[in-house]
Amino acid sequence: MKARRDVYQAIADPTRRAIINMIAAQPHNVNTIAEKFDVTRQAISLHVQILIDCGLIKITQQGRDRVCEAQLQELSEVSAWVEQYRQHWESKLDAMEQYIEQLKKERYGKQE
Amino acid sequence: MENRNSSTADRELLLTRTLNAPVELVWEVWSKPEHIAKWWGPTGFTNTISIMDFQPGGKWNLVMHGPDGVDYPNESTFVEVVPNKKIVYEHTSYPHIIATIDFEDLGEKTGLTWHMLFDSREDFIAVAQK
Repeated sequence: MKARRDVYQAIADPTRRAIINMIAAQPHNVNTIAEKFDVTRQAISLHVQILIDCGLIKITQQGRDRVCEAQLQELSEVSAWVEQYRQHWESKLDAMEQYIEQLKKERYGKQE
Repeated sequence: MENRNSSTADRELLLTRTLNAPVELVWEVWSKPEHIAKWWGPTGFTNTISIMDFQPGGKWNLVMHGPDGVDYPNESTFVEVVPNKKIVYEHTSYPHIIATIDFEDLGEKTGLTWHMLFDSREDFIAVAQK
């Protein structure tokens, strides 16, 4: 059984991020993707395979073309981390805001 | 100059807030270690600031003490300090971050923006994932 790759591994590479951006706008076949990048076709195939394993790309056979379609719901896992991390910093600002209110009270008395 | 164009969009965090206090007071809680230690948190943490040389090139060392007894040291260097207007600091321990805090004088209120730029998307995601 193949080890399940995770979405973090998928987006850790700039070429893979570029591939996702490209096909997010519109599905492309593997050859078209390969032409757009300055790396070997083999390298692109490997990146595409990793993206498939991570669940970020779905391949459909259309005649002779293998068409890559983006499956972006997997990326929401990443946005959830980022959102959580943002909350960590927002909570510092909450604490700072409360602290300022406390200082205002101490210094000027009656504040809301 | 700081760079806020789209090429940094995937490795930055931007927080904005309007505070109900004049800019002098908001500046004060940012500029004195005895104040920062009280709000830096996070919830349940205490903080010890051993150095805060609040001027360009000055060191800023802050240790966060977690509720589980673990210490998290943070080392930074101030890059820019413009009273009541702007602070730029570079977080030199991991993760490397350039942070810019802008203060806008709105009379009785203060507009605050806190921009944090990571070296790479990889760093940003790795830290966010923790």
